[in-house]
Amino acid sequence: MASGQESSGTTLMDLITSDPATAASAAPSLAPAAAPSTLGKPVTTDRKSRRATLTQIQNDTIAAAKALNPVRAIPQRQKKKPVSYAQLVRSIHELAATSDQKSSQKQLVQHVFPKLAVYNSVDPSVAPSLLMLHQQCEDRNVLRYVYYYLARILSDSGSQGLSPGGGIPTPNWDALADIDAVGGVTRADVIPRIVNQLTADATNADPEFHARRLAALKALTSTSASSSEILEKLYEIVFGILEKVGDAKHKRRKGLFGKQGGDKESNTRSNLQYAALSALRRLPLDPGNPAFLHRAIQGISFADPVAVRHALAIISDVATRDPYSVAMALEKHIEHGAGALHDILHLHDVLARVSLARLCHSLSRARALDERPDITSQFSSLLYQLLLDPSDRVCFEAILCVLGKFDNTERTEERAAGWIRLTREILKLPEAPSVTLKDTDNPTAKVNTVKPSSKAKRPQPLIKLVMRRLESSFRSFSRPVLHAAARVVQEMGKSRAAAYALGLYDVDEGIQLHAYSENAESLDSEFNSSSQSEGTRKTVPVSNGPGGMDTIAGLLASLLEVVRTTVACECVYVRAMVIKALIWMQNPHESLEELQSIIACELSDPAWPSALLNDILLTLHARFKATPDMAVTLLEIARIFATKVPGKIDADVLQLLWKTCLVGAGPEGKHTALEAVTIVLDLPPPHPGSMLGLTSVDRVSASDPKSALALQRLVQAAVWFLGENANYAASEYAWESATPPGTALMMLDADKMVAAASSRNPTLAGALTRLQRCAFSGSWEVRIIAAQALITIAIRSGEPYRLQIYEFLHALSLGGVQSQFSQSQISNGEDQGASGTGLGSLISPMLKVLDEMYRAQDDLIRDMRNHDNNKQEWTDEELKKLYETHEKLLNLVSLFCYVPRAKYLPLGPTSVKLIEIYRNRHNISTSTGLNDPAVATGISDLVYGISELVYESKEAVKESDAIDPELAMAWAAGLEDGLWGKNAPAMEKVNEFLAGAGTDAPDVEEEENITSRPSVTYDDLWAKSILETYEAEEDDARSSGTSSPESTGSVETSISSHFGGTSYPSLFSSRPSGYGVSQNSEIRSGNNGRRFGNTSTGGPTFEGIGSPVREEPPSYSSSVLQRFESFENPLAGRGAQSFGSQDEDTGSQNLQFGKALYDFTAGGDDELSLTAGEEVEIDYEVDGWYYVKKKRPGRDGRMAGLVPVLYVSSS
Amino acid sequence: MLLAVLFTNTEGNILVERFQGVPTEERLHWRSFLVKLGADNLRRAKNEELFVASHKSVYIVYTMLGDVSIYVVGKDEYDELTLSEVIYVITSSVKDACGKPPTERLFLDKYGKICLCLDEIVWKGLLESTDKSRIRRLTRLKPPTDV
Repeated sequence: MASGQESSGTTLMDLITSDPATAASAAPSLAPAAAPSTLGKPVTTDRKSRRATLTQIQNDTIAAAKALNPVRAIPQRQKKKPVSYAQLVRSIHELAATSDQKSSQKQLVQHVFPKLAVYNSVDPSVAPSLLMLHQQCEDRNVLRYVYYYLARILSDSGSQGLSPGGGIPTPNWDALADIDAVGGVTRADVIPRIVNQLTADATNADPEFHARRLAALKALTSTSASSSEILEKLYEIVFGILEKVGDAKHKRRKGLFGKQGGDKESNTRSNLQYAALSALRRLPLDPGNPAFLHRAIQGISFADPVAVRHALAIISDVATRDPYSVAMALEKHIEHGAGALHDILHLHDVLARVSLARLCHSLSRARALDERPDITSQFSSLLYQLLLDPSDRVCFEAILCVLGKFDNTERTEERAAGWIRLTREILKLPEAPSVTLKDTDNPTAKVNTVKPSSKAKRPQPLIKLVMRRLESSFRSFSRPVLHAAARVVQEMGKSRAAAYALGLYDVDEGIQLHAYSENAESLDSEFNSSSQSEGTRKTVPVSNGPGGMDTIAGLLASLLEVVRTTVACECVYVRAMVIKALIWMQNPHESLEELQSIIACELSDPAWPSALLNDILLTLHARFKATPDMAVTLLEIARIFATKVPGKIDADVLQLLWKTCLVGAGPEGKHTALEAVTIVLDLPPPHPGSMLGLTSVDRVSASDPKSALALQRLVQAAVWFLGENANYAASEYAWESATPPGTALMMLDADKMVAAASSRNPTLAGALTRLQRCAFSGSWEVRIIAAQALITIAIRSGEPYRLQIYEFLHALSLGGVQSQFSQSQISNGEDQGASGTGLGSLISPMLKVLDEMYRAQDDLIRDMRNHDNNKQEWTDEELKKLYETHEKLLNLVSLFCYVPRAKYLPLGPTSVKLIEIYRNRHNISTSTGLNDPAVATGISDLVYGISELVYESKEAVKESDAIDPELAMAWAAGLEDGLWGKNAPAMEKVNEFLAGAGTDAPDVEEEENITSRPSVTYDDLWAKSILETYEAEEDDARSSGTSSPESTGSVETSISSHFGGTSYPSLFSSRPSGYGVSQNSEIRSGNNGRRFGNTSTGGPTFEGIGSPVREEPPSYSSSVLQRFESFENPLAGRGAQSFGSQDEDTGSQNLQFGKALYDFTAGGDDELSLTAGEEVEIDYEVDGWYYVKKKRPGRDGRMAGLVPVLYVSSS
Repeated sequence: MLLAVLFTNTEGNILVERFQGVPTEERLHWRSFLVKLGADNLRRAKNEELFVASHKSVYIVYTMLGDVSIYVVGKDEYDELTLSEVIYVITSSVKDACGKPPTERLFLDKYGKICLCLDEIVWKGLLESTDKSRIRRLTRLKPPTDV
């Protein structure tokens, strides 16, 4: 607090009391909010004892003060003794006792009460004095404050600092708490008294008491809704008042506002009606209660505009739950186009008309009213009339309602119907045109108004009205209007997309739109009768009317032209909304260039806050979800984000977008989609500070270390993505390749092979070229990932690609080909080092696997030839050996990347027959692999079908006959809420966005990053990322080592880990929580709850490896080879296999000892450093980490902590 | 729902704030976010020129009145345009209470009155009275329509 005081320098109370006029009441104290406590010095010392409990509050305030005004030095005005809260309260007590004196009243109104307002609220000990004033004082101004403070006390939720009325935790609460303790007065003591006194006021029918009655009722509603007793009382009072005055018989509408007085009685009545409805509006909705609805509907005819507004709001709320009752109750208010509801069109109150629009929408769309088209049509027509409302707010609400946007829960069908409604319906005004422009003189409707000319009285197509209105709104100078208009266009885009998506929208937007006049009746009735099937109705050729030669397409084009120009607005939020609107209005087959250049232009502006950019990225997700055909288009847009603002966007979300779009692109689009993603890799390196080509799409801008690092990670992610998805995009799978290993191709030299390969599958060839380049010239971490990506492709692809990669990796391991590539390639800004690629240890196990495979294939071919030549049948023994080799290789391969075990043939396509024979003979069902989802759907569908399943799980399950339905169901079910939801952190964001959630506070912490930026150097960043990736390597090796080939774990770990964009490297090095994902999925995949503990796989794997790998912590070589050996017959043991289950049981019960295999340096507080050879006691295992205790403290003095499982051999 | 109304001086010190339905732990974020918005944009703003921002499904409209910045935050039916109405009501009431666009000094002198006005304008997260003469009546404990 002290620091806050110093940093802020002054407080609100300082400021207030610095006025000479207020000298009487002495000097500074607390500020309500930002200004931290400067309660008088004595109080500060008193408070010290309470410090601990208030730390939170203080921190909050101090932080607020800092955030707000770190160095503020208001010149000290004449320094006075501080006015403390206690002093003010004492004044109240004293002055209350003498409240009959004018001077006391003056003192209260002019000094005490206003200053006390600074505290947001008062403590309960003031209540007795306030109540005394309430009873004895006659002065209206004093009483107004009394009601104000009584309401504040009522609204406090009881705990300090949590006052829903607006109080905030500030140190002044501290003061209140002290007094509370001293005075011994609690809220529980005073609340009943306050409520009783206010209730007495509120039920006092004495005309002299009228104003106090209203104020008391208002104060009473401040009570928190949790007290049912008080609520009960309130309902009683409110309904009691409405019982007397609710009847609208005496209603007298006096034009605007009832300013020019009516008689006394009706004014009193009107005031009471207002007060009662206002209170009712704050009470919990009681939809089942007929009295509630009845009173609200009476309210429509009240004279007080605010009362009418509240009445409509209540009705519109009830209508969403019980449309039928509401419609029946409203029937006589809307009849013949002239009921009370129509009067509201002229009502002065904007929010009342907004509620009217929502009410009309609810009732015109309600299924419960399908039997009463006469009613629904009345409401529809009222809604359409609101489109002409002079207030933009009302008009926009009406447009949104027409579009089927109500809250965020609408179904696609509703939105689609909304678009059809907008494009086809006609506004036919009732005979007496009820839209007049009375409201243009409304001071609150400052927004520009569109005067419906006499033309507007003729029937008009809605779309035309809406377009004209929006166009004029876009010419407004008001930023809120622009923002809102852009939002409306965005919602139009959503509805339009929905209409296209459902295929209901068969209108050619190019056909002419005619104004309509003659057969309005028949058309109207047609609309009504078929409102249900509206969505499927064919275009109604509305003819006649010479006016309209417009087409929907024409109208849209001209609107969008205006929207685009709005991007010039200097307000970045408006621009963001405009871009979102344009993204939504973009259709798959339309030219993208304009949008692309707008976005590229925009992103070059450093003013964009990252939250907004991410919002746009999420909009791309939403757009994709609405129209999967847009995949390629959206990827093109996303690419601009990747290259322009890599540091500002959430790489998780971006990668999720890549992934979903790649799936969505479909067979034809896959190649383009992959290109769009990996174009990142082809970009020239960033030139810091370069201002050239700012607007070019293909230019990276990463002008500061932060974005350079982000770009670097993005490149890593892109490389990984390429490796993981190239096969899918290229539809090239070793197990689907019809051609046997291309022996002929193998004879070719490398150049010809490459040529042959690229002619056969340009997508894959392109991907390979890129990866090869990355393996040479990227930064260290990019090279590692590129090598991994290459081996993935090698394993998954048929020939000649596999051979091509083999050759390449071979050359790479020798460091030989570098010269060949390095000339053609610009460095990514990092010294590549002269001594080769440094990837040897990584590549050699990869080469070994391929070696094994090729050797086994050669052996097989030789054996087959022998058998053929000798006309020998294969013996069971031979088949068994072959099968074992098959399985062995399969396991080996699975360590590197995911392959479908049932389909994958490491021995080549020719082996399939023999394997089949053996399987059949020994009843080895391929369905053993059923736990392995890839079996059923193939790798592509495995990795990407997931997303489809998430989107349309049911359809997918129905369609895919290949999958055992039950399994598929379980799988889909598991995936739907599981795999994606949990694995991809981005998914949460996307889902949240799609659901329209998010009222949480914005994060402003990036500011801190920016301020701290200068202290981080480039070198630091690079060094850090290298280290992190190094760790990543280790963990990666381990995760493939621990996940059983049968489990989906390997896929999932790779998804989850590789997919963590921003947290890409640290994902691996993070705390145990990072591993929770793969473990969960393993549990799920082994349906019997079997866990593949790391204990048994991890431990033995590394035991005895000893020195060779000691220098290079777990690389592939160790895990792979050891795994290889430790698998004796994985398949036979499939059912009974007890990977670790026993170990784990025993491990959890008995003491387990282990020995550190390598040096491990603790990376976090909960981690423990180890020295190789150290003996430890293993307490328990959690998510790939052991909690171990050492025999004696280490150098850092720590005894116990977490270490990675693989660093310890358990005995 | 009208989530917040905030008044600050030109230095970003908060003068008045009313939150409704915002968890205590988020208020700090909102304060800093709003003050930063103001610091970034309001420097050369004209009196009562409206500015807009949004965060997820929450809208923000803010303006400058004399030496005081005013921010309103809302969601659902309290969108940009409704908030513009709200801020208009607030500014006209403040002007009414102070007699002119207030300096910081004037604002603080009228602090109590402004709090009472605000009490009539925003009540439990909903806009209440919009007419400034009505608001003036209510702050003096007179009924909305004279009897």
